[in-house]
Amino acid sequence: MKRRTAGWLYGSIVGLAIVAAGGASAVAGELNFLGWEGYADESFVKEFESATGCKVTATYVGSNDDFAPKLASGGGVYDIVSVSADTTGVLVAAGLVEPLDMSKIEHWNDIYELFRNAKGINRDGQVYGVPLTWGSIPLMYRTDKITEEPDSYAVLWDERYKGKIALWDDKSAIFNTARLLGYDNVYSLTDEQLEAVKQKLIEEKPLLRKYWSTAGELINLYASGEVWISNTWGGYQVAELQKQGIPVKEFLPKEKADGWADNWMIVKGSPNQDCAYQYINFTTSARGQCGISSVTGYSAANPVAAKACMTSEEFEAKHQDDIDYVDSLVMWEQPDRLDVYTNTWNAIKGAE
Amino acid sequence: MKLATRRRLSALGVLAPPLLWTLLFMFVPYAIMFTYSFYRKEFPIFIPDFQFGNYLQLIQDSQYYTVFFRTLKIAAAVAVAAVALAYPLAYFLVFKIRSPSLRAALYMAVIVPLWVSYLLRAYTWKTILGSEGVLNSFLVWSGILEGPTDLLLYNQFAVVLTLTYIFIPFVVMPVYTALEKIPRNLIEASQDLGVGPLRTFLGVTLPLSIPGILAGATFAFCLTFGDFVAPVLVGGPSGTMIANVIQSQFGIALNWPLGAALSIVVLIIVLSIISASDRLERAGRLNLG
Amino acid sequence: MTNIIEIAGLAKTFPGGIRAVDGVSLEIRAGEFVTLLGPSGCGKTTILRLIAGFETPDAGRILLGGRDVTDDPPYRRPVNTVFQDYALFPHMTVGQNVGYGLRISGVPRAETADRIATTLRMVDLLEKIDSMPAQLSGGQRQRVALARAIIRQPKVLLLDEPLSALDVKLREAMQVELMHLHEKLGITFLLVTHDQREALVMSDRVVVLSQGRIVQCGTPAELYDRPATPYVADFIGTSNLMRATVAAIEGDEVLATAGLHRLRGAAHGRRFQPGDKVLLSIRPEKAALVTDGSAAEPGANLIEARVTEHLFHGHALRMELDIGQAAPFIVDLQLSAAVETLRLPQTGGRVAIAVPPANVMVFPAEAQP
Repeated sequence: MKRRTAGWLYGSIVGLAIVAAGGASAVAGELNFLGWEGYADESFVKEFESATGCKVTATYVGSNDDFAPKLASGGGVYDIVSVSADTTGVLVAAGLVEPLDMSKIEHWNDIYELFRNAKGINRDGQVYGVPLTWGSIPLMYRTDKITEEPDSYAVLWDERYKGKIALWDDKSAIFNTARLLGYDNVYSLTDEQLEAVKQKLIEEKPLLRKYWSTAGELINLYASGEVWISNTWGGYQVAELQKQGIPVKEFLPKEKADGWADNWMIVKGSPNQDCAYQYINFTTSARGQCGISSVTGYSAANPVAAKACMTSEEFEAKHQDDIDYVDSLVMWEQPDRLDVYTNTWNAIKGAE
Repeated sequence: MKLATRRRLSALGVLAPPLLWTLLFMFVPYAIMFTYSFYRKEFPIFIPDFQFGNYLQLIQDSQYYTVFFRTLKIAAAVAVAAVALAYPLAYFLVFKIRSPSLRAALYMAVIVPLWVSYLLRAYTWKTILGSEGVLNSFLVWSGILEGPTDLLLYNQFAVVLTLTYIFIPFVVMPVYTALEKIPRNLIEASQDLGVGPLRTFLGVTLPLSIPGILAGATFAFCLTFGDFVAPVLVGGPSGTMIANVIQSQFGIALNWPLGAALSIVVLIIVLSIISASDRLERAGRLNLG
Repeated sequence: MTNIIEIAGLAKTFPGGIRAVDGVSLEIRAGEFVTLLGPSGCGKTTILRLIAGFETPDAGRILLGGRDVTDDPPYRRPVNTVFQDYALFPHMTVGQNVGYGLRISGVPRAETADRIATTLRMVDLLEKIDSMPAQLSGGQRQRVALARAIIRQPKVLLLDEPLSALDVKLREAMQVELMHLHEKLGITFLLVTHDQREALVMSDRVVVLSQGRIVQCGTPAELYDRPATPYVADFIGTSNLMRATVAAIEGDEVLATAGLHRLRGAAHGRRFQPGDKVLLSIRPEKAALVTDGSAAEPGANLIEARVTEHLFHGHALRMELDIGQAAPFIVDLQLSAAVETLRLPQTGGRVAIAVPPANVMVFPAEAQP
């Protein structure tokens, strides 16, 4: 998951980057990648191309919501996609991706079990995705403005911070709020529970400054003093703000924070499956995992590979060795009734 | 071949490309959109169908008319504010600036912002209206406020202000044209009949510029009605407009049929406003003789 | 009689340095019909606009009814204007147009309606009271403009080329109507026109303008018979102008040579010396043709000529004759029972032009215009 670019505005097409084939090696095949920026960065793709002869062409998305419409309308153009675990299920259900031949996946057993067993990539005994990176959605606050250390999502309803609170414009707000209200079944809420969550979030609206959409936007909101507390994409914004000298701190609320994982999937009917499997194996190897992690700042899905290539400080900072940290997250899943959740989130945003 | 037939055919030859163009880029997309609006959402995507469920949903679920009503309100506010600001400006340019070259230069100065990116202009308002923005800093510095206020940005006021600013040139242009078209001797005739400047304005200039006002207000209203950027940039948590909902139906919700139905409703609203304003304008033009 | 309009030393220069009005002084008596006459660009319309208040003068004063209105805005001046293209309000009916000034100045509704009806009846347009201006013909619009301008009973009615947009027949009919209206209302009319016939027909007095100055001011007969300058002589009616040199002075008659011709003219009190360069002016209708068998008036100047052109005008015949000068000499002959077309000299025929000395006007050559 990489949302650093302000991609929402331009909807589906953020840009097209063509990575030139390196060296004199003969081109044995090609690989058309659709996904988050950073997962086909030149710093490691060249190495892959000269080793395998697969020429990589990358197209970037601005949102997980871009995958289904693009694959549904433009089938046959892409071979491989990088999708967050809450969206993988939609692609599987829509028949847009292939089940994987597990005999061709090299590092499968090194990957965190939690991600491997995610509902979104497993269906009817078949595996559809290979976890690549992961992270959390913690809360973040200005330590100079909020001196009383918060520990709960409830702080987002604190009248004292009225007009200084921001919330990510995403249906995951429903998951968090459901947990705050004490519901454990966040992905299978009943109508009554959803209604309660909706009312709770509508109740919050007068306190909110803004629903934020992109990493850059949230950074600006903090930097310009508009916002003191919000949820955030773990690791990235906090580092950027600290670089600017804004005193901010992340914390995981006691109700547990959301966790996300991005997965490789192979597009249905792709003619370049050999290159696709080779790229999955390359990016889940030590070289690929650290290549991606150093470009994006996200944690690696393969801790064995991470251990081999990261410094111990980095390894610790990215919680690579901390299974308790991963366990403290509630990994995103596709809600049972995705439509109802989406509609609820729209209704909350649309309300007065 | 008869001459008349040949003529008709050559006329067809001349008309064909623009007709084809209109057909291809106007009617076909609308027809597709219209067709989609009867499809049925079925997880994970949607399937072809012919049913009115999407339209029914728009009526039954109150969230849609909340947003529709809000969008109408914001669009009307922008239209009124843009006319209120653009009219005096156009009036000043037409009647108070004597030098034609200065008038042309000032007119260009009003129009030139249209060439500046919409986003850039919207962002500018963020830096002006923000909690630590230019306006707040001034208000605090001058002692009018004790501390910065949050009331300027991230709410409907900011959306109306930003869109008004962005669409003012669209209002100035038709109002300017309408005012310029008023023969000067009508104003002289009014004064000649013993009527002072204010009553002359109310009795002659204003009624004769109504076509321009209508055209400008229609521009501002319809452009606002379809806007989805300003609510995201400067709007608050309760500023969602109809275009944002459509965008979300085509994106995150993957509910193209509902998005299409919403689009058709928006299209109908915008078209009826345009045709109503056109009819009023034409009635006004008839008067001008 | 009192002066309703007094203008003194009026001057107006427009941006770009055009001196539209250059020191004009004029007095107009109450009830007079005065015409400002001149070609386009002579400043006549500017004078009218200065009186109405649409322009402010650079110098000079304007008094209306003894009150200095130079600095008053148009809506405080007791004058009303009939505009050249009528300037009817397109968004109002005929009745609303006519009643506009009254309605806004707070005249009671009933009285306004009454006066609208009376005024429209005066211009014979009562049945069009609810029409829009766009539905009217040119002549009807003209009358509406007139009605609108007289309903407030102004001291002075200003008319800016009011008839120029009408066709010839309608124009002549409207001239008569305007004169009747002037008689009926008894108010002062100040008309601006470039049409000398219109000026001669309608006015009590005509003011001839050139380049922002008054050239001559007088009754139509005075202007016609005693033009002050060759410019007036040429502008009012038509004139045959000839450059000449004074040969001798004989009482009030001047003997002058123009090329091969020796002509006797009337000095009309002007003083000349032998050797002075002069311009001779002869009206085409004040010259006669002498053909075989007809005799010239005794004492008349005789000019040898050859017919070059016949221009048939219906009621008159214009002949162009070559008299050995650069410009052809024009003679207008009224066609009546006494003149038979058939007996007139044909093109190429030799004739003599006979002009009594009283009809040869002599101007100093440098007096242009």
